[in-house]
Amino acid sequence: MKPAPFQYLCPRSVDEAVDQLARHGDDAKVLAGGQSLVPLMNMRLARPRVIIDINRIDALGYLHDDHGVLHVGALTRQRAAERSPLVAARCPLLRDALRLVGHVQIRTRGTIGGSLAHADPAAELTAIFAALDGEITARSARGTRVIAAPDLFVSYLTTSLDPRELLVEVRIPALPPDAGWSWMEIARRHGDFALAGVGVVLAGRRGVIAEARIGLVGVGPTPVRAARAERMLNGQAPSEALWAEAADAVRAAVTPDGDIHASAEYRKHVSGVLAQRALREAYSRARMAA
Amino acid sequence: MRVDGKNTFAAPVETVWKQLIDPAVLRRCTPGLKELKETGPDTYQATLVIGIAAVKGTYAGTLAITEKRAPTHCKITLDGTGGAGFMKGEGTIDLEPQGGGTLLTWAGDLQVGGLIAGVGQRMLGGIGKMLIGQFFKCLEENLGGGA
Repeated sequence: MKPAPFQYLCPRSVDEAVDQLARHGDDAKVLAGGQSLVPLMNMRLARPRVIIDINRIDALGYLHDDHGVLHVGALTRQRAAERSPLVAARCPLLRDALRLVGHVQIRTRGTIGGSLAHADPAAELTAIFAALDGEITARSARGTRVIAAPDLFVSYLTTSLDPRELLVEVRIPALPPDAGWSWMEIARRHGDFALAGVGVVLAGRRGVIAEARIGLVGVGPTPVRAARAERMLNGQAPSEALWAEAADAVRAAVTPDGDIHASAEYRKHVSGVLAQRALREAYSRARMAA
Repeated sequence: MRVDGKNTFAAPVETVWKQLIDPAVLRRCTPGLKELKETGPDTYQATLVIGIAAVKGTYAGTLAITEKRAPTHCKITLDGTGGAGFMKGEGTIDLEPQGGGTLLTWAGDLQVGGLIAGVGQRMLGGIGKMLIGQFFKCLEENLGGGA
């Protein structure tokens, strides 16, 4: 399998890349890790006229922490984040979910920014980004803008990024200190896209939940934030009954589509089951006594 | 695969029906429609350009409206072929009064084959539903202006 002919551009700076995007716009695709784009091109489902390969823009490969927010350059590989001590310390939820993104080979090339820009409805990173209120910075010839999680995902494989914009940075707030977390998903085989997946963060004081965050993937056109379930948990004392109640609220929050891999009913049911397990695990990891 | 949905409109059944079978509305509201030629009564030849992510394709096909029982029921048959695969679909649309407005119920069976089905299976139903949703949303906006 070989791609259809295309023009290959290899910018060395963000300015150069943005100029090229301004010139080619709709006809161009940005190549980062290429783990989704290249297979589509090889099968000739995608036939972009121009490829703008950002892999040689060294300035985009970074990962650092600034006032409790992780700043991730557009070229940072998923595997680098997964193995980063900084991510393990500040956002272990991200690390745990990354372990289930495809396989090691895929994560070694695939980028955090690329996964968000591609917006696959089952991509783990989209749920974490949504649940933690992340944001991205996009650059175009017209300037720079910040897009917050709720405004980024539009539908299946569709974001609010303009074809002339380049995602340059992803920012993910670190978990609150002493927070517990959990990522749970069900896939047919390890490394497959999840049929449903849920990420949970629980933080609190004196035995009462102060901050609950729940994000899901695989259960709709975009990642889902279970806001009602979060509100229901806040201010409550943890208990099995509470987890069950929150799981019902999660089920009510999702309207998945069925496909050959799993029916809509199954996905809805499993969302609740996973949420309940994830809440239990997150609580076991949280230090909420003090 | 089965796809279905419901939409409500503020306009009465007769008004919604008129819009629904109006070629001008089809032309304006079908997502990605580039060309629509009437080849017979209620039969059209259409060219659509649909792009989701990097997968952009041009599809040519036919669309027919049959089993018309004005103003409450019709059947739509369509099939199309493009570089990425082919598609065949059949669906029904039913209108019923709801308050002063209209409840529209649609259901259909969509078959997608070829390359696109091999890779996109996971999302095809959802994307089909999204495109149909866009059509009805456009119809709703149209009616909002005219009703």
